[in-house]
Amino acid sequence: MSVNISVEAPIENQIQEITYDGTEIYQPPLTLSESLAKYAQKIDFSKTELEIKKEELNEDSKSDTDSKEAFQSSLWPWDSVRNKLRNALQEVCVLADVLAIAKDKRYLVLDPVQQETLETKPMVQIYARKKALAGAASVLLAGSEKMKNSQTEAARSRTTLDFHIELLRLRQNWRLKKVSNTIIGDLSYRTTGSKYLQTGTFEVTKAEDEEKTNSPPSSPLPGSTASAKPTSALRVSIPSELQGVAYIEVLCQKDQEDLCTANLTLLGSGAPPTNPDMHWQQKLEAAQNVLFCKELFNQLAKEAVQLQAPVPHMVVGNQIMATVLPGIQLIIALRHSTSSDKKQQNPPPSKSDHDHVLEHSLHQLLREVHHKNTHHPFPHPATGPLGPSKKRMLAGPMAADRYELLEMTKTQTLLEQIVQQAQHFIMRMRTEYVLDTIAKEVKDPLITSHWNTLNSPTQSCVKIHISTHGYDAVCRTPLIIHVGEKSLKCICRDGKVMNMSYEPQELRDLIFCHINQHQILAVQALAKTMGWQALGNSNHLGTGTVEPLGNASSCLLSSPTGDRIIAVRCEPSTDTQVSVAHSPRQDFFPSRLVTERKWEHLGGQFRDVRLDKMEGRNFLHKMELLMASLTSSS
Amino acid sequence: MGVTILTQFALENKTGPQTVEVLSKRICALGAVQQGHFLVDCETYTSVPQLGHQRTVHVLHNSEQPATVFSLLDNGTKITALATDGLFDLLMMKMSQFYTSKKQTKAESKGLRYEIGDFYVKLGTVTVSSNYKGILVEVEYRPCVVPAMCWDLLKEFLQGFLGLTAPTNPPTYLQNRMQEVYTPIDTIHQYLEHFTMFRKSPGIYRN
Amino acid sequence: MSLPGNAMDSLSAALKCNIIPNQEYLLQGSVLDQYVEVLLHRLRGLCDNVDSGPESFHDHEICFSLRIPNTAASTPMPMSIFSLRVRRALDVSDTPYQLRYIGQQELGDKNRPTVVRSSIDMACSSTILEFLTELGCRIEFEYIARGYMFRKGRMKITVSKIFKMGGNKPESVEPISQSYLVELSVLAPSGQDAIGEDMRIFAEQLRPLVQLEKIDYKRLGNIM
Repeated sequence: MSVNISVEAPIENQIQEITYDGTEIYQPPLTLSESLAKYAQKIDFSKTELEIKKEELNEDSKSDTDSKEAFQSSLWPWDSVRNKLRNALQEVCVLADVLAIAKDKRYLVLDPVQQETLETKPMVQIYARKKALAGAASVLLAGSEKMKNSQTEAARSRTTLDFHIELLRLRQNWRLKKVSNTIIGDLSYRTTGSKYLQTGTFEVTKAEDEEKTNSPPSSPLPGSTASAKPTSALRVSIPSELQGVAYIEVLCQKDQEDLCTANLTLLGSGAPPTNPDMHWQQKLEAAQNVLFCKELFNQLAKEAVQLQAPVPHMVVGNQIMATVLPGIQLIIALRHSTSSDKKQQNPPPSKSDHDHVLEHSLHQLLREVHHKNTHHPFPHPATGPLGPSKKRMLAGPMAADRYELLEMTKTQTLLEQIVQQAQHFIMRMRTEYVLDTIAKEVKDPLITSHWNTLNSPTQSCVKIHISTHGYDAVCRTPLIIHVGEKSLKCICRDGKVMNMSYEPQELRDLIFCHINQHQILAVQALAKTMGWQALGNSNHLGTGTVEPLGNASSCLLSSPTGDRIIAVRCEPSTDTQVSVAHSPRQDFFPSRLVTERKWEHLGGQFRDVRLDKMEGRNFLHKMELLMASLTSSS
Repeated sequence: MGVTILTQFALENKTGPQTVEVLSKRICALGAVQQGHFLVDCETYTSVPQLGHQRTVHVLHNSEQPATVFSLLDNGTKITALATDGLFDLLMMKMSQFYTSKKQTKAESKGLRYEIGDFYVKLGTVTVSSNYKGILVEVEYRPCVVPAMCWDLLKEFLQGFLGLTAPTNPPTYLQNRMQEVYTPIDTIHQYLEHFTMFRKSPGIYRN
Repeated sequence: MSLPGNAMDSLSAALKCNIIPNQEYLLQGSVLDQYVEVLLHRLRGLCDNVDSGPESFHDHEICFSLRIPNTAASTPMPMSIFSLRVRRALDVSDTPYQLRYIGQQELGDKNRPTVVRSSIDMACSSTILEFLTELGCRIEFEYIARGYMFRKGRMKITVSKIFKMGGNKPESVEPISQSYLVELSVLAPSGQDAIGEDMRIFAEQLRPLVQLEKIDYKRLGNIM
């Protein structure tokens, strides 16, 4: 749309006369020389600062007459100009002469003139300032009041958050900077010590659907629409490679186990991850998490390739496979679902045994690396150099040898640490399993295990008690097992230390041996309380059939009067055998070999006791009954 | 860190390299494995006359402690030892106005390093300002730090491959320190003792 | 394992390659006691990793000097003086003594943002005091410095109170002045003058609380 505008020149000539019929008679324009003369006359050569005041008084009248003269007596229009110039010349000449004389310093000396100091009254000044400030303050206050009013007005009338308020909130949590016309943010971990190369920049823009967000204020019920969906006036755009949801999947798997056992959906990924309506805070957090996972995986993959492991680590695509223990692999995978394949593609087969603890440890390890990158030790004394550790600082004066120095430079990689943690995890699991199954299998004696609540990611400790129900005061066998990364260490009752490998069978055998020993020891302890006498015992009996594991243990007990003898033999594989002999033998028949009765004190033949037919809750109870009966019958 | 014994060794009618070869054969026959090289050097600075009575600073480096510079200050009556970072050499250069280096006395012992069980053996060829002076054998017993407790063991070990010329008494420096904990600076003291002897000797030093 | 080289050779090689940090870039200033809290607060905001609070220190420094009369008439000074500083931490155990040689400082022209002085810094065993005395050094002065240190990248900032040694007891010390000494320094190999610019920018951020400047000790000497 355009309107025609006519451009007219303003009237240049003065109107001399208007005739009755309305015609305007213009003055003829001044010639160039005339106008120059006119302007020249207007120049006031004599006007200097000093004279301003004096002249001001007579100026008006004078100039009036001057101009009249100029117009009327136009005999010589340059006359006044010439006069003024001549005066000026005269003054300059005088000044030049004075300066010439003054320069000689013989006749004339120029002294600086003391300038009169202005007399100031401090109190007056203060009052004046105070008044001025009060005036300024009231103006500012009024302005701020006005702005506040309009702000609250706007807030009341608007449901969507203001872009700038949003930006302020964003600024409080994220690093932003302005690059020309765009606002760029950074969600990388660079400032906290990360050295990952991928950038994590995002752009902040105003939401484009301005009309949509602007419509609520006009509606009569702004509150209802706002509560329905609070749309943000701010939009963050994240680079495509950081979109979506990522996490590190960690699982330990056995060789023979099938890879795809379950197709569970991803944790927390029920909702499509890149919902356009998602709040920017969640969006940025998700993107930051993607970046973190990528860095973590990148680091692990790098280490997996570099590390010289006995069984080489494998890196295939987004998956790292490391052998933890023979037959057991640790699989670390980067799972990243982006918006493009969120619906079409099934989420990757997530196994039920995804190890959250190890995943958490991985995150923790990388954060530790970040922390170490930024937190360097301070030197003491303070003049020392920044950087070297306290240990390295001491290396010179303490004359550390080259091995110690080499040791200082060694650091464990993330992968090594996580493999160790996985190893320990497996070892702990196996130990738990062995102990639980033994406790289930063996009812007599009872096996109880106490796991220490305090443990480290690579070390834990379990205390085992072998005791018999009802007789735990008589005898109990304690064992302590330290579970390490690839081995077990068992500290036995007598202080012996047994080192075992990662094979669970070894622990199982050890526990069974200790069950046997416990039974024999417990019988002896019980015998002591019953007044019986232990004649002898052996933990490693050389007689009898060869045991598949360990040796049989046995003991001999005699009654208080010595006329009864009980023999107990415990074998790890079979049950306990108990035999009883009488002395003197009750049935003596002279034979060709043993002819006299005095030999009856040798003790008779051992006869087996059928324990399973006996009364009693458990082995010790039966033994107690047996001993009691044998004592009383004598 | 262990206890180290340093001893000079010479064979009749044999040159330095020949002697080292004989020893090397003997030690390898005992089952030693060669593990790299070693170098101990010593530079001596003396004070300028304006500083009063003369003092000497011996600056030694031992490749076994690569991060350390050892300095032994001899004022005629006693020796003060100091262990510092590698930059001490730089400081000595700055002090050239007060302490001047005598280049012709620069001594070093270098050669091969062997490991045999708990023992480290070093066969060093000693040169003073690049003139051959003799052979120094260093034996270190790692698991022990008190000389008195392992001297007999070390003596026996030394006799095992040095034969009858092996020392029968502990080095003079160690003799009144037998019950103290042995530190790397003690090795340096022994080296300095031997270097001083070599410097004084006119030619090839013989036991 | 490679043949171990002569230590002196490797040192001179390192000197040639300019990898030994033997130049100290330094700016100094001071702040009155009553404003030190404000300064510490600002430093906490500016420096790296002060989440766990500033690192405190408590050091004892002794300055030794070696001096001989100059025989050469051409030199302007009647004495050749070589000073060495020994410093040790009183608050942290198991730390080495620190021996330090500080060279003549170069103020440079106006365009150079910091003082540059050569500095040889080394950790040493506790025999250093005896060693220096035997070497012929004598104690010039000693003091206790107590305060806080910060870091920002390669820069080290120390805010320290200097105490006079009162007798032999460490607790009977008295402060030298009503203010704290503030130092901004970087130890770097020579030729890395770019760091000076970073230091100037950092010092700018502490104004007007502290005016970190190139202090000319010679001029200070004339004033006193």
